[in-house]
Amino acid sequence: MVETKNEPRIGVFLCHCGTNIAGSINIEEVKNYAKTLDGVVIADEYQYMCSTPGQSKIIDAINENNLNGVVVAACSPRLHEPTFRMATQEGGLNQFRFEMANIRDQNSWVHMHDLEGATEKAKDQVLIAVAKARMLEDLQPKSVPVEHAALVLGAGVGGMQAALDLANAGIKTYLVEKLPTIGGRMSQLDKTFPTLDCSQCILTPKMVDVGRHPLIELRTYTEVEKVEGYIGNFTITLRHKARGVLDPDQAAARAAATGILGTGCNGCGDCDAVCPVIKPNPFEMGMAPRKAIYIYHAQVMPLQYTIDFDACVKCGLCVDACGSEKNAIDLEAVDTFEEIKVGTCILAIGFDLIPIEEKREWGYKQYDNVITGLEFERLICASGPTVGHLIRPSDGKTPMKIGFVLCAGSRDNTGGVNKAYCSRFCCMYSLKHAHQIMEKIPGAVPYLFYMDIRSFGKMYEEFYYRIQNEGAKFIRGRVANILEDPITKNLIVNTEDTLLGRPVAMEMDMVVLAAAVQPKPEAEHIRQMFGVSKSQDGWLLEAHPKLNPCGTTTAGIYLAGVCQGPKDIPDTVAQAEGAASAASIPIHMGEVQLEPYFAMCMEDLCAGCGMCLNQCPYGALDLIEKNGRTVMEVTEAKCKGCGTCGGFCPGGAIKMQHFTSPQICAQIDAFLLKGGVN
Amino acid sequence: MAGNMRQYAFFLGCIAPNRYPGCEAAAIKTSAKLGIELLPLKGAGCCPAPGAFGAIDLKVWYALAARNIVLAEEMKMDITLICNGCYKSIWEVNHILKHNDELRDGVNEVLAEVDMEFKGSIDVWHLIELYYDKKVCGVEKVRDSVVRPLTGTKIAAHYGCHLLKPKKERHFGDTDNPMWFEELIEALGAESVQYRNKMQCCGAGGGVRGYDLTHSLDITNEKLINLEEVGADALTEVCPFCQLQYDRGQVEIEEKFGKKYGLPVLHYNELLGLAQGMTPQELALDLHAIDCTPFLEKIR
Amino acid sequence: MAKVKEYGNAELEEKLRDTSYYTDDSNPQFLEDVKKISRTAANMCFQCGTCTGSCPSAPRSSYRIRLFMRKGVLGLEKEALNDPDLWLCTTCYSCTDRCPRDLAPTDVIMAMRNLAFKFDIVPRNFLKTVQLIYNSGHGVPNNDVNRAARVKLGLPADPPTTHSYPEFIPGIQKIMDFYKMKENADRILSEGEH
Repeated sequence: MVETKNEPRIGVFLCHCGTNIAGSINIEEVKNYAKTLDGVVIADEYQYMCSTPGQSKIIDAINENNLNGVVVAACSPRLHEPTFRMATQEGGLNQFRFEMANIRDQNSWVHMHDLEGATEKAKDQVLIAVAKARMLEDLQPKSVPVEHAALVLGAGVGGMQAALDLANAGIKTYLVEKLPTIGGRMSQLDKTFPTLDCSQCILTPKMVDVGRHPLIELRTYTEVEKVEGYIGNFTITLRHKARGVLDPDQAAARAAATGILGTGCNGCGDCDAVCPVIKPNPFEMGMAPRKAIYIYHAQVMPLQYTIDFDACVKCGLCVDACGSEKNAIDLEAVDTFEEIKVGTCILAIGFDLIPIEEKREWGYKQYDNVITGLEFERLICASGPTVGHLIRPSDGKTPMKIGFVLCAGSRDNTGGVNKAYCSRFCCMYSLKHAHQIMEKIPGAVPYLFYMDIRSFGKMYEEFYYRIQNEGAKFIRGRVANILEDPITKNLIVNTEDTLLGRPVAMEMDMVVLAAAVQPKPEAEHIRQMFGVSKSQDGWLLEAHPKLNPCGTTTAGIYLAGVCQGPKDIPDTVAQAEGAASAASIPIHMGEVQLEPYFAMCMEDLCAGCGMCLNQCPYGALDLIEKNGRTVMEVTEAKCKGCGTCGGFCPGGAIKMQHFTSPQICAQIDAFLLKGGVN
Repeated sequence: MAGNMRQYAFFLGCIAPNRYPGCEAAAIKTSAKLGIELLPLKGAGCCPAPGAFGAIDLKVWYALAARNIVLAEEMKMDITLICNGCYKSIWEVNHILKHNDELRDGVNEVLAEVDMEFKGSIDVWHLIELYYDKKVCGVEKVRDSVVRPLTGTKIAAHYGCHLLKPKKERHFGDTDNPMWFEELIEALGAESVQYRNKMQCCGAGGGVRGYDLTHSLDITNEKLINLEEVGADALTEVCPFCQLQYDRGQVEIEEKFGKKYGLPVLHYNELLGLAQGMTPQELALDLHAIDCTPFLEKIR
Repeated sequence: MAKVKEYGNAELEEKLRDTSYYTDDSNPQFLEDVKKISRTAANMCFQCGTCTGSCPSAPRSSYRIRLFMRKGVLGLEKEALNDPDLWLCTTCYSCTDRCPRDLAPTDVIMAMRNLAFKFDIVPRNFLKTVQLIYNSGHGVPNNDVNRAARVKLGLPADPPTTHSYPEFIPGIQKIMDFYKMKENADRILSEGEH
């Protein structure tokens, strides 16, 4: 703090960035201008300031000119602030004695054809940066220890992979799943493209690995209730939904606690057989019945029954059927809570199909023989409700002409149920469906109505080729509408063959809509609990679309799978492994360094009103008693330095480090009053 | 001398012997100077025309082409020819029938009616590929045979379609900008000149010349514009049908479109004949629709 | 479905003709025939347009080879075979050289022409070539001017082909008769003269 009272001695360094900046800004003119600014003792320029010689210029200038502030006018701080901070530190200064002016992204790239205007703007940018640099203070990054455990939310293929990777790396991992079983969407699929592997067959070994892993704490039928803390030190409250059925461990615990004996559920299914309540089975997309006591599907992990208490009439038949030896059923079960501590979290919460029935023109839920791709998966699956026989819902007959409507709701900018993005796997699974039809039903012809076939993955285009070669028909045109023949229940698909330039009205026995995907409804609540942003389209937002696709803007929270944006199984698994790797780094490091940009309460000014507490989006603020007064305290590790509290505080008692009011006022003054020009 | 000569059955086709006999005469004489003896393939007929005839019934095309091939098989001699259309029929049918048992059996069923059988015992060559092939002749040998270099002339090459394409069923490689024909042109002392879209079709093939002459000539006219642009003194090709299209086509273009080019069009064998010292009379250049005199004056 | 309107007025029927592509417009056998004759997997076309872009006939006409490929895939037999553009392919094979699916669109056109001939759809010039070959062995036979020129060159007046050896012509005729080609050509030409 002593230096701030010293005369400012600022060095200004201008980067050409090749011609990126120098092509649109007169660097020489800006440099000469910078030399005139109050406190500036040296102004220099270089082709690429980020290069080793460029950095050396900064280091040498600090030593030769006894600088106490460094300004680099170059690209975005997102790109090179860390580079120049390190150079500042190497020169012997505190690394926060550095300020960056973004004269590239915010200037030369925008005003590419206005040399004069861009040069003037660059001068202002340098002026403002110097104004702040004159008032910079030494700051120290904060170090916090990291809990040696991780949370993975969602146990689809992505979540399972992430959990396995973390656990295999020696980290205790809580794998939390809302449903009674792990496995996710992939369990519902019959085969996977382009290899045509049986989906369950390749998934179940992974499910078994997860179930067996000593470092994976499986929490099925469980939701996250509350998230507190920050990177390294998250406290997560889990809600174990009342399952009504005890597994052997829970039964043993009960015996120890209450003396009630019983070996717990062994998955025998005697309860299922006697249950009188019948509901639609969501795993089978409602196309098969399910009892009030159920297992989600035949290959569940863990093998443990669950009671749907919304449906259960508590008749007790299941309790009798289960018998006193197992005594696994507890009809009075209630939700229980568990608090876990983890260092990092991975969100892998998956997706839903859009409510495609809202696209009225395609007739889903109006016409019997219009189904979704996911329903098709169940109908073609040997373990599905029809034992793998594809039939028309209207009459049970085998369809011979089957239309596939691609981009059903995807690539549609009209808003609402429609999605502007490409759902990325519908082309491929529709091709796979076409293959399955031709394989299973001799003489059946699939017609794919498409705008583009996006077969971008490894061996995908080859798969497209194969399916076309097998006899699938392709009609390039987005389906305008579907009409039902009221007598035969056949469907007339209307579109244009855009390659022929003429209308098409083709009669199909069945139509499969490759419905767009959308975030889960609970994603909004979950992201708010974890402090994760969402992108325009509603998917969870990664920290950087290219350079940090697994991270989020909240330190310690990572993303995997479709919850971050549509992707297929290989991409999901790859991202899950990336997220697991990223999530393991702070844990293995043992401690994390935090930017010291947090708010600081100036206690003598704080009135303890507490109004700032509700403003904080990160829950970083608390009221405490100190020296007989109520004052606000910042949990530094939680604070993101957003400044909301600092701007709000009626008493001006909150100081935003590195963005202090005097610093910001100096910047505003500099710009408006051209202050600081000699 | 005769001992060093390679002998080939010379398949004439239709247009060379019946419209541009200079090509036939030149082929025989020029080849003799290059160690290639062309022997008459007695009783040969139309190849038959791949576009006009194959378009109607490919099975008949296979059979009639096979008949011509069998005549050479009976001579136990490879075929050579000087027309791209003939090359498509004779080379391609020979190639297909050698590799496709079903088609060969079908063809032999018909040929049995005339006591013939396709055996697949010979190969088919375009004379120009024999000239270029070092094992048979080669560019050097062509150059050495020149006694009157075509120095000072700019000659453009038209490769023609059916010699090179489809690429995957031929052995000439690049079909977008090949340069081997230019090497053979420069061997005669001329400057080979590059022009826009040199690989474009002459416009005659596929029966289009007969079906829609105006359309066909419009394609030719595009080529002529491109040739005029670079100041070519002559165009050379290895296909009498392309030659007909460019040569007579210019007269028709003048009639139909009112444009006059006066670009002499010579088969490579005619050019080679001139360079080897043959007179215009020995090449019957007077049968050409476009007067070759301006070109001949340049090499005098 | 207003496919048939029954207005009883030909002009109106034509003006308001439904141009939609219906399921029953397709003759799947057409595609199979095209594949067999052309010896190319015509069904594998993915309509990229490289063929039309390579085509010397396309810029100067309504001929779009891509559309013929499409009509083949869709089994639009009558439409493809009755289209006069079918005969504008110069068979230059540029499209075949560049097709990214390794197909031979040129051969598809040739196959469609073959199939058209079975419906008596064929331009007259093609049939005249047939007659010439049948009668002389040559599609472009010799003439007197040329004979004189040949003699001047020291060549025989007639080349050593069927012209000099007419005993080979019956063999050619036998082959063509085997496929009833001349017969059909004569019939179609004479019907056209009515």
